[in-house]
Amino acid sequence: MILILMCIEIILLAANINFVSASIFLQNIDGQIFSIFILTIAAAEAAIGLAILVVYFRNKGEIDVTKINKLKD
Amino acid sequence: MFALGTFYFFSIFLIFTSLSVIFSKNPVNSVLFLVLSFLNTTFLFILIGAEFVGIILAIVYIGAVAILFLFVVMMLDIELIDIVSNIKKYIPLASMFGIVIISEIIYLTVVKVSKGDLVFQVSNTNNTESIGNVLYTKFFIDFQLSGIALLLAMIGAIVLTHIYKPSIKRQNIYDQNSVIGSERVSLKNVKKGEGIDT
Repeated sequence: MILILMCIEIILLAANINFVSASIFLQNIDGQIFSIFILTIAAAEAAIGLAILVVYFRNKGEIDVTKINKLKD
Repeated sequence: MFALGTFYFFSIFLIFTSLSVIFSKNPVNSVLFLVLSFLNTTFLFILIGAEFVGIILAIVYIGAVAILFLFVVMMLDIELIDIVSNIKKYIPLASMFGIVIISEIIYLTVVKVSKGDLVFQVSNTNNTESIGNVLYTKFFIDFQLSGIALLLAMIGAIVLTHIYKPSIKRQNIYDQNSVIGSERVSLKNVKKGEGIDT
């Protein structure tokens, strides 16, 4: 499950690269501003995700993604 | 030519480190490769002329997010996951999406944009200066909203991970402030030679 969070970070990094390169290509600074906002949201998301992970590990003693569907019960 | 060579070097290194994040057996190795890929992205940003975003990326991602991941990974002592075993059933869907994205990239870079169009930034103002000119004026509301998002994330993380124990004695500010003096202190008239029975 920690790998999923890391992969989300990589996806947001790719979006950042897209925004910045388009910003340079179009000579428009707005892309870099949006890159900063994505960065902020990514930091917030990482904090919340890791907090959920820690709580889940404290309750269950494991972080297996395939067993999280037991939250339905 | 030098810029092109460094660009290809860091790009290929970035792809390699990103793949290593996914395929590492040990989560600690994954986190360290994540740090390396953030560092490569920082170099790419500085190379293309966006120094401010690059440095902010280094500070925020490497300094905060990746270290947070590292702490959690080391704290949780999870067993080594075997990702290769169940990756096979996702291959058709993943390859479909991958082919679509790669064909888009090829279309955009080879067909639509001729070579030499991607110029490095030629600007007369500083990168940081031009970001600061619009960040606090045009994007003022968005800036404040991102601050609120960070505050909410902080409160949410604390509320989620905080363990409430009723046995621990706490300071209750409201109780302290709502104390009436006559309930706690009383004036006694003590006579000489006698004590006072409480």
